[in-house]
Amino acid sequence: MDWNQIFQNTVRAAVGVDAIYFAIAALGLNVQFGYTGLVNFGQAAFMACGSYGLGMTAQYFGVGLWWGIPLGIVFVIILALIVGIPTLRLRADYLAIVTIATAEIVRMFVRSVTFNDIFGGTDGIRNFSREYRELNPFNPGSTYGFAPFTFSGYTLITVLVGWTLIAIFALLVWQLMRSPWGRVIKGIREDEDAVRSLGKNVYAYKMQSLIIGGIIGMFAGMLLSLDRGSVQPDNYSRDVTFYVLTALVLGGLAKVSGSIVGSMLFWILFVLSDNILREITRNGPLRIGDFTLIQSTQVGAVNYMFVGLGLMLLMTYRPQGLFGNRKEMALDGR
Amino acid sequence: MLGDSRSVKTLVLKFCLSVVSGIGLFSGFASSAGATSDDYSIIANVQNQTLVDGSTSRAPVAGVAVTVTKTDGTKIGEGITDETGLITIGVPSRDDYLISIDTSTLPDDLTLIDADKASVSIPKDLFTTNTKRVTFFTGEGASSGATELERILQRLADGIRLGIIIAMCSVGLSLVFGTTGLTNFAHGEMVTFGGLMAFFFNVTLEIPILISGPVVIVLGGLFGLLFNWGIFARLTKRGIGLISQLVVTVGLSIMLRNIYLFQFGGRTKQLSSYSKQVNIEIGPIGITPRDLTTAILGVIILVGVALFLQRSRLGKAIRAVSDNVQLASATGIDTRKVIKVVWFAGGALAATGAIFRGLDEQVSFSMGSDLLFLMFAGITLGGLGSAFGALLGGFFIGIFVEMSSLVVPSELKVAPALFILIIVLIVRPQGILGKSQRVG
Repeated sequence: MDWNQIFQNTVRAAVGVDAIYFAIAALGLNVQFGYTGLVNFGQAAFMACGSYGLGMTAQYFGVGLWWGIPLGIVFVIILALIVGIPTLRLRADYLAIVTIATAEIVRMFVRSVTFNDIFGGTDGIRNFSREYRELNPFNPGSTYGFAPFTFSGYTLITVLVGWTLIAIFALLVWQLMRSPWGRVIKGIREDEDAVRSLGKNVYAYKMQSLIIGGIIGMFAGMLLSLDRGSVQPDNYSRDVTFYVLTALVLGGLAKVSGSIVGSMLFWILFVLSDNILREITRNGPLRIGDFTLIQSTQVGAVNYMFVGLGLMLLMTYRPQGLFGNRKEMALDGR
Repeated sequence: MLGDSRSVKTLVLKFCLSVVSGIGLFSGFASSAGATSDDYSIIANVQNQTLVDGSTSRAPVAGVAVTVTKTDGTKIGEGITDETGLITIGVPSRDDYLISIDTSTLPDDLTLIDADKASVSIPKDLFTTNTKRVTFFTGEGASSGATELERILQRLADGIRLGIIIAMCSVGLSLVFGTTGLTNFAHGEMVTFGGLMAFFFNVTLEIPILISGPVVIVLGGLFGLLFNWGIFARLTKRGIGLISQLVVTVGLSIMLRNIYLFQFGGRTKQLSSYSKQVNIEIGPIGITPRDLTTAILGVIILVGVALFLQRSRLGKAIRAVSDNVQLASATGIDTRKVIKVVWFAGGALAATGAIFRGLDEQVSFSMGSDLLFLMFAGITLGGLGSAFGALLGGFFIGIFVEMSSLVVPSELKVAPALFILIIVLIVRPQGILGKSQRVG
């Protein structure tokens, strides 16, 4: 077993593109779920808004790629209104039901044959990221950095942009939560009725929180599609939201650092598990006697099994996450 | 049986053991994917479909020209189908391809059923193994010549079948919510459990579904009890709040779905009982005896559930607890026992629905979670926590979804259910049968 390679892959995963887009998506989800107590199970759909915003701008409107950002924001607001208007006045689980349903339907629409001409069906949209590539000061073909932090020039630009975005959003969320607005938001999480009795429009605050979290999540989708060079509907399946949620809970809800550290940890553990299992099964299935324990085609399922188990155990035994403060974790304050 | 908690525990323990031993046997049919060669190829298959006495029979079509091109139009390979209707065309790599047949080379009396399907695109994700098979069907289309009324009635019949399944599956979801306040996102996995167990007994152990069905239903009920005993009763005892429990159900759902994927593989598979059936015509509607039987059985079960809830003492107790836990508890109802009954009954009904679904369609590792959204739409429409609401709402959503495929493309037919969900939440968030109360 090549432990050195596994170690390098694992360490690189902590700062790689996957951890970055998870961290951004988790920052957004943290605003909604951690600080406001909104159970948004459709963060993947908000990410898709950004992705398709970028792809469609380049594909159809013939204007610069960067117009994708306002278009994505428009998509996010529409989506937030669709899921928010019916549910934000109701108990928390209604939002969970509607967001998970809406996210599924959004994915169904963008990958459908019917709207193939608009969204590109299962192929998604390609060839839109030329402008971004041209901005890249690095040579896409060569390798930069030192072991284990080696990236191709192609990826390095996204890694740098990504960590810059994380820094900006972390600062933004941190400042927002210290502001009077943030205090109201946290008040809503603790006791909605108390905030209402102070004359605050709880509904409007919740909607703002949903939109702000959605816009942050949107950038995660944009970054992902810029890195992959394609807008792919299946990158935004229902489970993506749950994996981001797991990363968030791992790092600690209602903490800015929690989203970032959690996402890094999530990918460290995930890549470690994935690499070890792949190494074990590389030369055929692992057997005990005649009983096949695991074969290479099953590695993916085992990894995600661990994710699900991890989320359950965390929520039961350490709901504040590995580094969180239990007092801040008042999801069930009401 | 359910009253004594000790016997429940032994049952659950026995069940755990049987599941563990089951998984051992289960792995006998775990996917054997993984081809040896590094060459990729596409197999095109041209088959002529004819309707003989209401059943479809297929015959290979030879001498049809097939070409494989890349998506940008460059030709990769071509060939002509042999006597078995097959032609294998090698491709250089796992990539996106377009497979087209030359319709002018078809025998004169044959045409493609779906004229748009003369070329099929294969995205590279579809190469799960090194070969990808594409089938082209010629002959008379099954739906051709149907009038508008016939199409509507056919959809209605399909809708009723789907509605019965959704209603059956979602009773447990709604009652668990009503009695414990828990929104169980792992309920879809309870349904899948029933489907996979049915597959295990029916296909792997070759026990006819009529005999294995009741066993599966009981196992489904015990699986529900296991959820409660193993997880949610403990969480409640630990004082973990409902939103946290909701997140736990999400984790449970991910974990179980991937355990199913691990054991069962990613493909859909068919139950062996009653898989080959000939349509019988009732007026304009074509339905197989199997589907007719399951529909009638389904209605009987649903009416039985409704009567049980309406008439029996236990049913009344369930409704009382889901109405108001404190009040029910104060009147001397053993709420813990009622919750156990609800988990058992919910799991058993979910398994029943899954067997019907498995007979109706096929069994897969995600068959339940694919239905989850429709179940939620159904119980929200009927009123979260209300058992009758789940029955009515689920039934209605099933019909609505199938009927809406008359108007919207069938790949998007569940989208209108979301529309219903949103409208209900705006207009009457407590649902049709829910009490007019604050749910905010």
